[in-house]
Amino acid sequence: MVEAQKYKPSMQLSDESRVLPSGEREFMLDVSTADLEVNMGPQHPATHGVMRVLLRTDGELVTGAQPHLGYLHRCAEKIGENVEWLQYLPYTDRYDYLSAMNNNLGYSLAVEGLMTGLEIPRRATLIRTICAELNRVASHLIAYGTYGLDIGAFTPFFYAFREREWIQALFEKICGARLTYSYIRIGGVFNDTPPGWLQEVGHFCDVFEDKWREYYDLLVENHIFVKRTADIGVISAEMALDFGLTGPMLRGSGVDFDLRRDMPYMAYGEISDAGAFDIPLGRGEKGTLGDCWDRFYVRVAEMMESIKIVRWCLDAIEPGPVLGDVPKVIKVPAGEGYVGIENPRGELGHYVASSGGKVALRCRVRGPSFTNLAVLEDLMPGTLLADSVAIIGSTDIVVGETDR
Amino acid sequence: MDFQAIHDRLVAIDAPGLVRAELPREPNKKEKDPGRSGESYVVVDSARMVDFLLACRDDERLDMKLLVDLSAADPAVDDENFWVLIQLLSIEKKHRLSIKAFLPKDNARMPTATAVHRGAQWHERECAEMYGITFEGHPDPRNILLPDDWVGHPMRKDYEFPTEYHGISCE
Repeated sequence: MVEAQKYKPSMQLSDESRVLPSGEREFMLDVSTADLEVNMGPQHPATHGVMRVLLRTDGELVTGAQPHLGYLHRCAEKIGENVEWLQYLPYTDRYDYLSAMNNNLGYSLAVEGLMTGLEIPRRATLIRTICAELNRVASHLIAYGTYGLDIGAFTPFFYAFREREWIQALFEKICGARLTYSYIRIGGVFNDTPPGWLQEVGHFCDVFEDKWREYYDLLVENHIFVKRTADIGVISAEMALDFGLTGPMLRGSGVDFDLRRDMPYMAYGEISDAGAFDIPLGRGEKGTLGDCWDRFYVRVAEMMESIKIVRWCLDAIEPGPVLGDVPKVIKVPAGEGYVGIENPRGELGHYVASSGGKVALRCRVRGPSFTNLAVLEDLMPGTLLADSVAIIGSTDIVVGETDR
Repeated sequence: MDFQAIHDRLVAIDAPGLVRAELPREPNKKEKDPGRSGESYVVVDSARMVDFLLACRDDERLDMKLLVDLSAADPAVDDENFWVLIQLLSIEKKHRLSIKAFLPKDNARMPTATAVHRGAQWHERECAEMYGITFEGHPDPRNILLPDDWVGHPMRKDYEFPTEYHGISCE
């Protein structure tokens, strides 16, 4: 017969006691805790997808964290070596599915870098910029809404989705899809904008500017929200550089770097020279520089900058062709190159190598979520269990991209 | 700095392991040279990669403090080498450097870069499971995207796709 396991209380009354003013005797609690391993995920709502974080806890204190990835792994890079150049484009939609326009753009720019002599029409460049920036707003709206949800604020999520819905409707009008667009393609964009589309984008910008101020007051300056995120998960600038963090994670730590301004591609150099947009930085306004609040603030402030870029493009756009001179079956000259662009989550890099044929020799994807997540192993130990959700949320990962 | 200036600086500081620079070139039909398009890169000896990265990071004019990417490539089944591909970025000076190292397939080992750039840790884990490259001295050499019991290295060109996994047919 198996001996029944003896119940061991983890809390005992200690011998120490004191007499309260009322005359009662109060005994102190002797709390002994042991290391406990907790699986957060793979189906935990705060991991934003299927990811598991193995937490080692001592009471309420997190003493170790180990992210386990790969639940959504599809080996997109291997697929890239087996399908034709243009056929790979829909696969790019599916790693960071919240910013598919930017993924299309990164891949297209990388392949175009190898195709010497291919010219991208001006109108295509500006449509690309409008789509990429609108997609950035949509992606940051998700980051805004879900981060509030993680922390416990339910309402902002619905407001954020209302505006995101409008952006998705705009994209549906331009390409027929709501999430996986495959609209920006090698040589330009798939088709011209439908009549009245650019005017509607302008109208969206007007409405969004008003809404944005509401959102800002609703969550960013909310006292409870600030208490939950300020001084939590502090990443110093040195640590951010050491881990290779990019995007809002890097700017949240006060490092002034944005690929759109500092290493411009497409029309961004022109837009930046015109002084059309700023780069929001974390300043340690509510707590320590590089905390969760700073990263969140950078994302929210970036939405407004994207709207400014969209407005600049709407003023500059003129009728013209939208697709360069590309053959139906694309053959890319032998060569190799790396192109990094500023995705909503950081630098999305594509390294493409060609041997001169119809398929790639190598199609490497450097996803920003993957690198940004690596910092978790160092960031989590020493924090409280309740803050772990705030820290994971502030990295703003998309699991489709960490696993690819 | 542009690529030429970076290369000149690397030669001037005698960067350890620097082999040569590869520039894009026009196709030449007479010599049956298909040419090479795309970006310029430097070729570095894989055994001295860590010293090279350290020199790039600590030299004040190169200042490449950010390791953007570390990956590998298998150019062909009958090729003797893997390529190890590293992208560096300087935040202050706003320039990039692409690095390529050749690693023989029958002895695919090189020292880990985690001591220089912590961010290399996960990239190296991915590289190790996908290509079977051993990074000597890696602090945590487990699989990252694949299950622990996965057989083979999927990104190799001679990889054979499995027919079943734990009794689940995938044909």
